[in-house]
Amino acid sequence: MIKSQNTLMKQRLISNALDYGISLYLGSTIGYLINYIFALNISPFFIFIWSSVAFLLLLALPNTPGKGIYQDKDERVKLFSKLYHYIYSLAILLSLAVGWFMVEIEPFEFLTGMSGTRNILRGLFTPDKEIFWKMVSELIKTIYLALMATVFAVPIAFFLSFLAASNLMNRSLIGRVTYAIIRTISTVIRSIEAIVWAIIFAVWVGIGPFAGMLALMIHSIAALVKLYSEQIENIDHGPIEAITSTGASTLQIWKYAVIPQIINPFLAFTIYRWDINVRMATIVGFVGGGGIGLQLFQKQQMTDWNGVGTIVWLIALAVWLMDMVSAEIRKRLLNN
Amino acid sequence: MSIIEIKKLNKFYDESTHALKDIDLDIKEGEFLILLGLSGSGKSTLLRCINRLIEPTSGEINFLGNDVVKANSLSLRSIRSDIAMIFQQFNLVKNITVLTNVLTGNLSKHSLFSRWTKEEKELARQNLKRVGLQDFAYRKVRNLSGGQQQRVAIARALMQNPKLILADEPVASLDPATADSVMNYLGTLNKEDGITVVCSLHFLSLARKYGTRVVALKDGKIKFSGSPNDIDEQKFKDIYGEDAEEVEIR
Repeated sequence: MIKSQNTLMKQRLISNALDYGISLYLGSTIGYLINYIFALNISPFFIFIWSSVAFLLLLALPNTPGKGIYQDKDERVKLFSKLYHYIYSLAILLSLAVGWFMVEIEPFEFLTGMSGTRNILRGLFTPDKEIFWKMVSELIKTIYLALMATVFAVPIAFFLSFLAASNLMNRSLIGRVTYAIIRTISTVIRSIEAIVWAIIFAVWVGIGPFAGMLALMIHSIAALVKLYSEQIENIDHGPIEAITSTGASTLQIWKYAVIPQIINPFLAFTIYRWDINVRMATIVGFVGGGGIGLQLFQKQQMTDWNGVGTIVWLIALAVWLMDMVSAEIRKRLLNN
Repeated sequence: MSIIEIKKLNKFYDESTHALKDIDLDIKEGEFLILLGLSGSGKSTLLRCINRLIEPTSGEINFLGNDVVKANSLSLRSIRSDIAMIFQQFNLVKNITVLTNVLTGNLSKHSLFSRWTKEEKELARQNLKRVGLQDFAYRKVRNLSGGQQQRVAIARALMQNPKLILADEPVASLDPATADSVMNYLGTLNKEDGITVVCSLHFLSLARKYGTRVVALKDGKIKFSGSPNDIDEQKFKDIYGEDAEEVEIR
């Protein structure tokens, strides 16, 4: 096959970039291991130099990872024909070795240090019965907190999701810009953990369930915008065409061809989100979001392991129940 | 009298895709017009230009004295309400009931929040009865077979009380026996109700059985127009290419 000069240039650039990237990675991992094992302090500059030398070596060799991506099997040079296999294997082995040292894995400690946890474990398995009903009421508070966060998030996410659906928005420049802005903001909000939002809102509106609700709400909006808009992007265009051809107005087309296609998945996602919010509400409670999470945090601070036990078992029970119920409802919604 | 007059119709999808080239076509009231041609010859584009699901690039389309191309959105909706359309993939809303799908044929007479009247529901049931699906009114469309779904689509078309039915390969995703029965319903509407039908097809045998006229498209141009019985082997090869063999379905 004849390739144009331009594509050949581009291919060479990409394959060299890949080879250079791999050289840098191998060079740095080897540098890290040498520094760690021999307690040396080789500077990044030297690591950069020897990685670059390795790259020059790869340039001269056939069958490097970079050259491999644009080569057919039968075009390969016989000599060193498995070179890129060896390079990839080496990269994987080095990654595992670096990971082992970086995470400070200590199997001996794991096998011998368990006795220190005796008190905690004993507490967990002999829960404090005195506080049971008080904790049940805190748990109910948490479930309602999650419910309110979900309920407030749904209308906002519903509205925004249409502006974040590429099939609706890519018809004009303004649409594409709106789409990009909403998608970016929602990605940023989602990547900030709910616990950070809880700290922000605890300062904003004071410690308590309201701060927790706001934290979960903002997180839920961002997550639901993504789920909802992907559903809108996947709708079948056929019914829209058919309803349009009957002479229906735009709003009628929405009502009869779009909404019926998305309503059940939307409900399913919403219930799923509530389920997630109950689990997250516990964590959010840790930093002042109120509810059972706050209680868990306090009991743990006081090293009251029997109290922690009560709470942990209650949360486990609630999460298990929510999980089952929401899975069943979602199954029914999506099969209809 | 002509129901549709098309003059010098052109459609460009982009600079290099010229889907329709200077199409001139006159469709008479009461005709059962069959559009033949390979996939990509422009049949779907032509059908969709008639009710402007696809915007023509240039040319004129006249529907019973109304200028379709220049119509504003309100008069376009009123034109569309007189032209029903049937699709290869049926295009029903799958998770609502059969009855509601049929009723959507009457949307042009409704505002956004008005409810279906008793008379309309009765009419929808009658239309379902005409296509033999009176017992399916409250079933969800997704549970119906392909042939049944296409009959629901025909009932929806009937609900519009249309003067013209555009059918875009209505039997292409059905088995031969079901295909013939669906064509039979369209034939009945044409003969008994006097509804003009424009239908694209791939099977010459069905064209001969139901069509009053055949128009064949090739590369966006009209290659042949005449009685279905005038298509001999040579004309068939002109339309479908030298290697084509006619496939019989009965």
